[in-house]
Amino acid sequence: MRPDAHEPLPLSNQKAVDEDIRLEIAQHIELRTEELIADGMSPDAARAEALRAFGSVDEVSRECREITTRARKGKRRAERFGALRLDLTFALRILRRSPGFTIGAVLTLALGIGANTAIFSVVNGVILRPLPYDHPAQLIDLREQHEKGGESDVPWLNLMDWRERSRSFQGIAAYGSNVSTLLGADIPSRVRTTSVSEDFFRVMRVQPVLGRLPGPEDHRPGAPPVAVVSYRFWKDRLGGTRDIGSRRLRTEFDFQVIGVLPERFDFPSESDVWYPLDLYGYNLSRTAHNWSVVGRLKDGVSAEAADRELDAITQQMRPTLLPDFDAVGATVAPLQEIQTGSLKRPLMILLAASTLLLLAACTNLASSMLARGTARAHELAIRAAIGAGRGRLVRQIFTESLVIALLGCVGGLALAWVLMRSLLTLAPIEMIPVDGAHLDGRVLTFSMVVTFLTAALFGLMPALRMSSVRPALAMREGSRHSGSRRSRQLWSTLVTVEVALAVILLCGSGLLLRSFAAITAIDPGFKPEGALTTLIDLPEVSYPDVQQAVAFHDRLLADLRNVPGVVAVGITNRLPLEGDNPSGAIQVEGKPLLKAYPITGYAIYRTASPGYFAAMGMRLIRGRDIALSDNATAVPVVVITKSFADREWPGEDPLGKQLRVMGMDDGLLRPYASVIGVVADIPHGPIVGKRNEAYWYPYPQMPKRTRSMSLVVRTAASPASFAPMVAKLVHAIDPTIPLEFRTMAERMASSIADRRFTMLVLLSFAVVALLLAGVGIYGVVSYTVAQRTREIGIRIALGARPSAMQRLVQGGAMAVVGLGIVLGAAGAIVATRLMRSLLYEVAPGDPVTYLFAIIALGAVGFIASWGPARRSTRVDPITAIRSE
Amino acid sequence: MTRPPMMLLKGTLDVLILKTLSWGPTHGYAISRWIHQVTGDELKIEEGALYPALRRLEEKDLIDAKWKTTATGREAKVYRLTAAGREQLNVEVSSWSRYVTAMSRALEARPTGVIS
Repeated sequence: MRPDAHEPLPLSNQKAVDEDIRLEIAQHIELRTEELIADGMSPDAARAEALRAFGSVDEVSRECREITTRARKGKRRAERFGALRLDLTFALRILRRSPGFTIGAVLTLALGIGANTAIFSVVNGVILRPLPYDHPAQLIDLREQHEKGGESDVPWLNLMDWRERSRSFQGIAAYGSNVSTLLGADIPSRVRTTSVSEDFFRVMRVQPVLGRLPGPEDHRPGAPPVAVVSYRFWKDRLGGTRDIGSRRLRTEFDFQVIGVLPERFDFPSESDVWYPLDLYGYNLSRTAHNWSVVGRLKDGVSAEAADRELDAITQQMRPTLLPDFDAVGATVAPLQEIQTGSLKRPLMILLAASTLLLLAACTNLASSMLARGTARAHELAIRAAIGAGRGRLVRQIFTESLVIALLGCVGGLALAWVLMRSLLTLAPIEMIPVDGAHLDGRVLTFSMVVTFLTAALFGLMPALRMSSVRPALAMREGSRHSGSRRSRQLWSTLVTVEVALAVILLCGSGLLLRSFAAITAIDPGFKPEGALTTLIDLPEVSYPDVQQAVAFHDRLLADLRNVPGVVAVGITNRLPLEGDNPSGAIQVEGKPLLKAYPITGYAIYRTASPGYFAAMGMRLIRGRDIALSDNATAVPVVVITKSFADREWPGEDPLGKQLRVMGMDDGLLRPYASVIGVVADIPHGPIVGKRNEAYWYPYPQMPKRTRSMSLVVRTAASPASFAPMVAKLVHAIDPTIPLEFRTMAERMASSIADRRFTMLVLLSFAVVALLLAGVGIYGVVSYTVAQRTREIGIRIALGARPSAMQRLVQGGAMAVVGLGIVLGAAGAIVATRLMRSLLYEVAPGDPVTYLFAIIALGAVGFIASWGPARRSTRVDPITAIRSE
Repeated sequence: MTRPPMMLLKGTLDVLILKTLSWGPTHGYAISRWIHQVTGDELKIEEGALYPALRRLEEKDLIDAKWKTTATGREAKVYRLTAAGREQLNVEVSSWSRYVTAMSRALEARPTGVIS
């Protein structure tokens, strides 16, 4: 420490205090002795008398010391509090004095903190929040691994054996979800129903809030159908009546409602009605992959251990059960992971991106603080000169940062609240559930921690820098020159960091943007525009004979074909993008059977009506479409995908080839059908997924699933405008059928909505980071020019051309930007590797994206530095030199 | 024969110090001599007791202290009355006079009818 920076606080340590006391006492004794000698005493006697009159020197010294020490301690404590108040008052005064800086800083920080808090609240709500069930960590999802590779639902008998033989579980329960048309509630509607095995509610540990759960007697085959309903369903659809027993619901069965589940119970997601699965009877084939399975682990048993145990059991079962057995093991995974697994990656990437954004905001603020530090060097120098220690100055400047950070935090929370609402509105429901984000204690703690970290990040460094003013130097030379070189270096470093962060964010969002562009450029093999769709679910109670359902569709299709403006119309059991299920076992004539099973392979099973391919806009490559004449009595026919033809008959003409399916539910072989047409491949599941082989039967020839079909209407004008007309025609046949229309284009958009959302959020972060970098560069170049006015003036006076000056200044700025770009690109190479699973047909190291990011930053750097550099050319040498 | 010296009442020394300093800044030894002179042998004060009292007053900000070179060329710790100290002295003086007045009146009173 320099002595000139000391506050006038002598005796700051014990040694000095002791010395002070000793001197004072010694002087007293000395003076007294002199006086006594003057009165005529001998020196020795005088000294003895002086000491005697004084009393105990030791005692007095000790007492003095105690008083001083005690008082100092108290004072220091009071001083510290006083100083804090002083710091705060002063900080507020300083900030009020430059409202532009304050508002800018608070807004920048609010943006960073707000974005972080909003994203974290979603992460907190979706990923970190434990499932709302008792001991949720014990709950697991159980799937079967089969010999073809991949996983599937579990056959009933396998589940029974696993339950019998494993020791890892408190319980394992089967459930299956379905969407059914429900009659008997206030209006006919579609609800998600779930059939559950007897121990389902025991595994989930749920108790009804009203009524009772199904007991063993309700799970006997042939028992009268009963159901429990969700709280939401009970409130909304049953009017919240306590007399639930009087209500009967009809779906496939005629149920008596016996209980209402708690409000928070939502498993499987969105289910409204649960009933004993025993009503359906069991499929006893060990390859009928019918059931989803949820289990509860015993205390202390890990999912991995349970997984290994079931794998071993499956391997023991396998030899004795072949060939009707295709399981090779089981996959046990925590239920939480299964429910949020696909969201984890994108949300974590958004959280990481928002952290980078916050860092950029901090860096930006740090450089603003530094700029202010330069302007305030004079003030700080005076304060140092009149005795403020360096620690005191650091504290003062840091207090200002803290005040800004706290204001930013308040603004950030407000912004987070707004952002959260818009995130919930804008994000696809599959990504962030409606109740997916709250500002709870954890989120608030998070944002407070973030606030203090940011204050430390953007406040401490400039505080240390600014406080190291040399008062004499700073006051003598005016504000401009104080610590200029080192400030400039630090500032350049900050700008480098800002540029690097912007490059990382730009690369990340650029990769997502290019993936998204690649996805939207995919030829789906059908034409989403102009097609209107709706599910038509005919309840089994109203259509006990499946032929009634066939008749319904025959009539509806005939009616629709005659409507003006309808270009084509058709039905199918499953629309494109709706999933790869069901996968059907087939026998292709002349192909060798699989070892395990009397089939030759699998392909996706579909049924369709005449006109369906035209309505969906699918391309017929060979042969013909399904015709009206391909009815129940005609020769069985199928239309196959190109990939199917290529797999089964490479290089041959597939038309006229024979194949047959093995019944999905009964395991019986159907008669051979002839291939009549080949269509282009379509994505059955996600648009980016593999396009698996598929075949379509005319629905009258494979009518079993005709009660649940999707209608597709291709229209000449806006498809949505046809919905009322279609509804009228459907309801003319059966007024109880609930309809929900969606255009195919909407389905297409919502299938990639999560990608789009992630991309847009990341892109907006990148744009903000780019702006911050631009502001940062502008700031540092302006500062440099101001600093070097004299030097520039001299150079111009000596004959340097203005354009050379501009090149010099701008060249320096671009060097800093260039370094930032290089560092950012290196960072991006590391960071974007984590995004691989979100990318489509773009490598994490995609050169185009990097090039774009580099050009963007280069351009921003050039534009931001151009203005201030231009100013340097207008420096008037005379004024510049004289001003110093 | 001399009368036995009186014990100093608690806090009295502080008032005496303040009083001394009300005439002007001076160092500890001078204060001690002045108190000794004006009180003569009536008050028995160990000279050393002055210094803790000075410290106490200093920490209460009633006086402040600085090392200075005196007229005789010595380094001495010189005490000075602060504004707060002057205020305090006034308070003490007036309360002391009230105390003395009250006590004298009581001690000089004649018996009345109450005491038989």
